[in-house]
Amino acid sequence: MKISYFKKIIALTVALFLLVSLVAGCGNSSKDNNSASSTAEQGNESTGASAQGGDKSPLGKYEPAIDISFVRGIDDDLAANILPKTPGETLEDNRWTRTYKDELGINIKYDWTVKGNEVSDAFVQKINVTLASGELPDVILVNPPQLKQLIDSDMVEDMTQYYNDYASDLLKKYMTEEGSGNIDSVTFNGKMMAVPEILAINELAQYLWIRNDWLKKLNLDPPKTMDDVLKIAEAFTTRDPDGNGKNDTYGIPITKDLYSGCMGTEGFFAGYHAYPNMWVEDSSGKLAWGSTLPETKVALQKLADMYKVGQIDKEFGIKDGSKVAETIAAGKVGIDYGAQWNPMYPLISNYNNDKNADWTGYPLTSADSQKVMVPLKFNQTRIFAVKKGYKHPEALVKLMNMHLEKCWGETADFNKYYMPKENGGVGVWKFSPVCPAPPFKNTEAFVAIDEARKNNDFSKLIDEPKSIQANIEAYEKGDTTQWGWEKIYGKDGVFRNMVQYRENNQLLSEKFVGAPTKTITEKKTTLDKMEKEVFVKIIMGAASINEFDKFVADWNKLGGADMTKEVNEWYDSVKAK
Amino acid sequence: MLNVKIKKELPLHLMILPGFILLIIFSYIPMAGIIIAFQKFIPVKGLFGNQKWIGLENFSYVFGMPNFHSVLWNTISIALMKIVLGLFIPLVISILINEVRNSGLRRGIQTAIYLPHFLSWVVLGGIFIDMLSPSGGIVNGFLGLLGIEPIFFLGSNKWFPTTMVITETWKEFGYGTIIYLAAITGIDPSLYEAARVDGANRWKQTLNITLPGMRMVIVLLMVLSLGNILNAGFDQIFNLYSPPVYESGDIIDTLVYRLGLLEAQYGVATAVGLFKSLVSFVFISVSYFCAYRFADYRIF
Repeated sequence: MKISYFKKIIALTVALFLLVSLVAGCGNSSKDNNSASSTAEQGNESTGASAQGGDKSPLGKYEPAIDISFVRGIDDDLAANILPKTPGETLEDNRWTRTYKDELGINIKYDWTVKGNEVSDAFVQKINVTLASGELPDVILVNPPQLKQLIDSDMVEDMTQYYNDYASDLLKKYMTEEGSGNIDSVTFNGKMMAVPEILAINELAQYLWIRNDWLKKLNLDPPKTMDDVLKIAEAFTTRDPDGNGKNDTYGIPITKDLYSGCMGTEGFFAGYHAYPNMWVEDSSGKLAWGSTLPETKVALQKLADMYKVGQIDKEFGIKDGSKVAETIAAGKVGIDYGAQWNPMYPLISNYNNDKNADWTGYPLTSADSQKVMVPLKFNQTRIFAVKKGYKHPEALVKLMNMHLEKCWGETADFNKYYMPKENGGVGVWKFSPVCPAPPFKNTEAFVAIDEARKNNDFSKLIDEPKSIQANIEAYEKGDTTQWGWEKIYGKDGVFRNMVQYRENNQLLSEKFVGAPTKTITEKKTTLDKMEKEVFVKIIMGAASINEFDKFVADWNKLGGADMTKEVNEWYDSVKAK
Repeated sequence: MLNVKIKKELPLHLMILPGFILLIIFSYIPMAGIIIAFQKFIPVKGLFGNQKWIGLENFSYVFGMPNFHSVLWNTISIALMKIVLGLFIPLVISILINEVRNSGLRRGIQTAIYLPHFLSWVVLGGIFIDMLSPSGGIVNGFLGLLGIEPIFFLGSNKWFPTTMVITETWKEFGYGTIIYLAAITGIDPSLYEAARVDGANRWKQTLNITLPGMRMVIVLLMVLSLGNILNAGFDQIFNLYSPPVYESGDIIDTLVYRLGLLEAQYGVATAVGLFKSLVSFVFISVSYFCAYRFADYRIF
């Protein structure tokens, strides 16, 4: 008797649930139907409107105003720095949204916001949920694999025509200033399916950061060749540069991830003309995965030699970036391969502990007479796609036009739109949902400051260079927190090397920038893991250098060959264009 | 008669309703997601969208992966060692703690060993890398005093699995101890009195009263833990493994992480998850059956 009673309860509950979910399901589907039919109507209207109006000016105003919805992450800078220092402004109502509304007739709305930038777990997960739910905002910020999914499901607008018709000269100029990578990365079957926020790959260029005070102490000259680098690494390891009488310093810091914007190895590999972890042209002009080319083996051997004699931390193989950064803070190393921003992190942690630490950015060096090429891996994370059926896809392009115009155009008002002095110089440009910027703006700022320095007249500096110079002057007056600015833009600033890299044509961009191919999606992380395992083991001496040849064979066998084929098909299709 | 009984018990049944509802919402309804394992799943099309059905292709893809066997072996060996130590150590410790007379000291020990349970592996990961360092870590410093050469616990394939088992046990044994202590508290004190009258010493009391009194709890924990046969501990391994020890440290969960979150191959990742669940289900069933046969232990 008791059992049947139980059964009844269960049956009743299940029935109740089915009923509830059924009702809920009905509700949803009817709502979907409504919205679908309404977008269809809107679509008809829009074709009618554009046929009549035909205003294709990049900054033309909508009358009456239109709505556009975005989603966005709120990074720490925005939450903890910008919003508190701009009283009266919110994410939905600020100087940028007001400008877009008043001058373009576009109302910015956010379907949702989440704490964290566009590569944070929180944002990526929320985007994935949004994609799966099918309830997209008008404009969605995605990464390449997500864009591919959207295109495969036919959920985004073809932007080719809108971009060609509406993009301002400024936007077109900066979009292609570093080559066609930005456009190619969103081009599918010859159609531009989204608009990327201009990616500045030159910012990823590596430099050779060295502690000048250690060089001086040991009577060494700045390196001109890879042999010099090896000699300096040896001296920094064995000749007690920190003078504490203990054998506790290393040559170069590297992490278990090998490739990184700070404490990386790319700059070292480049010295031997090896470009691991990116797609480069091999001697025959075909694309190849740089890690599998013979030059990589040579450089690996050098790293293994350095490891053997203690110039590389014996435990690097288990340490991630933050762990290795501790050795920099503790003053155990005097060399660092990394990007221009390294003085901001992690090098300043060393300076904070030891005011003698004089890190200076030198250009990469070559192992032979051939000039060294600086690898620039293409890593696009900010692509804006427009939902299929949205009435005004060109509005996205107009927003980008406006953002560039207000910050770098002829009518630019840097102090209002970029880093307003009266708000403590915070980066209010982040209030804008789209933030394209000239790719070489930082190098150009350095050039402007350097010019002023030469003429000993800083009064003509405007906009960003001016605020940077203010930071440098603050440092010179004793504000040690501004140390990094001096190292990046100062007299011996690292950007001087970028000027040189550009003059000598030393920048080598990754050649494959398309969406991940089928095999890349399925096999790449497995192959990446194998690559790191083998490379780390070779460096640590746990595997002999001959393992490299086996790795190349395995890599090809386990999907690398297919990947290479697909990547080359893409490359041919782009080159044919 | 029946009506009276229903009336009397109805409030009690209603009280389990909220839990029951939560269980359905968060455990049963999501089970529908299993279908992803048999699809070429593209997220933007939605769970009930027009997905392509591919049968068991996801499974054959996973089982055909070059290192799947070593991953499976790593998982089982690490998990098994963790289960055994995780049952045994707390049992011993709880009996020892029970013998401590000073109640302040007893509570102090209990709290101290329970604390690591609340630390996340992200935090502990950094601490262990320092503590287990072959150059300057305190563990190797101690071994050095005994004349033992420094051991690269986290970088050597020989030591990595053992290190995982020991550190995990260190972190969690306090938690297990509390459950056993509760079981000991539940033993009727008059049994001990009777034993003392009969002249049993502490050891005999432990052997003949404490342990048999804990039998049910021990069996319960064993049955439950066998379901973890394929859970080698994602948080821990993910925070402590590195390229040199992928060979001995890569487990099913880290594989799923790479497939599902990094490659976005949800179909394949779900297939592995389903495989894990099936194996766990079999193990739980078998161990429950054994517990029923040999220890007369029953849940239902």
